[in-house]
Amino acid sequence: MPTTMENWNPGKKQERYPNVPYAEKERLFLEVKSDPRYEDFLYGCYECGICVSACPSARFYDYSPRVIAQAMAREDIERIYEIMVEDIWNCAQCFSCVRCPRGNNPGGLVTLLREVAVRNGLQETREVLKGYSRVIYKVMLKGNQVSPDMLQPDFFPDWGPWVQQFSANMSVWRRAIPVDTLRGVTDAAWRVDSKTLRELYTIWFETGNMEIIKEVDEGLYDLLVEVMEEELEEG
Amino acid sequence: MAGKVLIIGGGPAGLEAARCVAQLGGEAILVEKRERLGGTPDRESYAKLTHHWRDSGEAIGELVAAVTGNPRVQVKTQAEVKAVSGQAGQFQVRIECGGVSEDVQVASIIVATGFQHFDPGRATQFYNYYTFPDVITLTDLEKMLKEHKVVRPSNGLPPKRIAFIQCVGSRDRQLGNEYCSKVCCGIASKQAVELRQQLPDSKVMIFYIDMRMYGYWENEIYWVAQEQYKVNYVKGVISEVLKKGDQLLIRGEDTTLGRPMEVTMDLVVLSVGMEPSAGTRQIAQLLGVKQNKYGFIEAGGPGGLDPVATSVPGIFVAGAAAGPADLNDAFSMAGLAAARAVAVLYQTQVA
Repeated sequence: MPTTMENWNPGKKQERYPNVPYAEKERLFLEVKSDPRYEDFLYGCYECGICVSACPSARFYDYSPRVIAQAMAREDIERIYEIMVEDIWNCAQCFSCVRCPRGNNPGGLVTLLREVAVRNGLQETREVLKGYSRVIYKVMLKGNQVSPDMLQPDFFPDWGPWVQQFSANMSVWRRAIPVDTLRGVTDAAWRVDSKTLRELYTIWFETGNMEIIKEVDEGLYDLLVEVMEEELEEG
Repeated sequence: MAGKVLIIGGGPAGLEAARCVAQLGGEAILVEKRERLGGTPDRESYAKLTHHWRDSGEAIGELVAAVTGNPRVQVKTQAEVKAVSGQAGQFQVRIECGGVSEDVQVASIIVATGFQHFDPGRATQFYNYYTFPDVITLTDLEKMLKEHKVVRPSNGLPPKRIAFIQCVGSRDRQLGNEYCSKVCCGIASKQAVELRQQLPDSKVMIFYIDMRMYGYWENEIYWVAQEQYKVNYVKGVISEVLKKGDQLLIRGEDTTLGRPMEVTMDLVVLSVGMEPSAGTRQIAQLLGVKQNKYGFIEAGGPGGLDPVATSVPGIFVAGAAAGPADLNDAFSMAGLAAARAVAVLYQTQVA
């Protein structure tokens, strides 16, 4: 590969993902760049770091929204590829980073990068998302988040210092919530009736979400489709 | 009102000072060493100005026309001030013009003798400027931009990868130029935009310590360069420029990404700063006005707030003779210097 601006970094050059052709990395970047939202998400970067100081993920993980905006603004193809297969999954998509004096939206860039990574079924993306198949299963099939009884506080330092205390009494606290869809529900995040479920399934199909799932996890896709189609037919 | 104002230097500050003196009802004698008026922008063939991206020749031409066609301004080109005596209200000045000496009396003096671009070979070989033909300065590039013919001097082909190195000859204690030259960030960014306009396939990178894009330069030049023209700004100054094949290898640190870097370039542009011109140094000696440690004429007056007052009453300074200045600075100072100089004419009449 010739020395270009895109591989100007001797520290990482030819070391991280040498087996992925430069043209492929560039193609992925151009797919991100061609998104109509891209222009609204990225202007230019001062490298001032206000997004990092506002970012909860940056406090706990090796993650910097500044580097994302910076690499994208510089169109640093090699670094962008690294970001696409690694960094973007450390973002919580909270969008605290939009307090940018230049009007950038690093979290939005992460959204675009994730969409392209998933749409292209990158191997690393499949690996990363493997751990989420249970979450996807829950959310898409049950219309629910991970339920409170599944909570393992040791794994989530970013949930704050009180997470242990909350976990210990979760069941009691849940029973006390005076809201119909939450009261007495401890094995799910909230109660979802079958009409709502059928509506959700329809949304997943119509919006192309099922196609995305198919791209990253075909086994999960088959499982979901089977249950969903049955439910939709019954409805 | 009695007497005349002597203006030394026919660049932007001197020209504007002459025009203002005339507008205020005074009479001016404008002395310029070169054959042509217009100062450094004319001598160094500036392409576009940072102000409204105006064509330099056209903008400076208007300024020259306003003075040469003015009955209240006596223009002397190829002329030099050789001796000055007296005090505010009555200075005796000897002007040598085309081998002929002439003695005139003036009430006040405005010094507008300007700056010169830092010479990258002045103290030590900066970035191999005198060794590698493809290492050039802002002024070298400005000439090529004006002719719409930007090429690598080594082979005459258009460069694909161009780097600007900021703060060359400025902000350097070892060199003695501790000050910021104030305009180079804007000029480099302006040139980067022009490069991308003239060579759309080129990659342009600017390596900087701080980007000092004060006031409207921020959104009118810096943001335009970065957002519309995709000029890359990298915080980190280049330590050395080496040869690699027929390209140049530059070394530095990409400080915000926290990693050392080596990049190859086709053309390296040194963003040279400002130093007092030889004329400024000479005239300061001749007039006996105080210079600061860098050789610029010390301005500020007793209270420190008067940007055109020198250490000698009746002698004022305008533009880059007093330190790094852009055209706005030069014009603002020229107007104020003209007002103060004409005020001396009024005081002279009263006395």
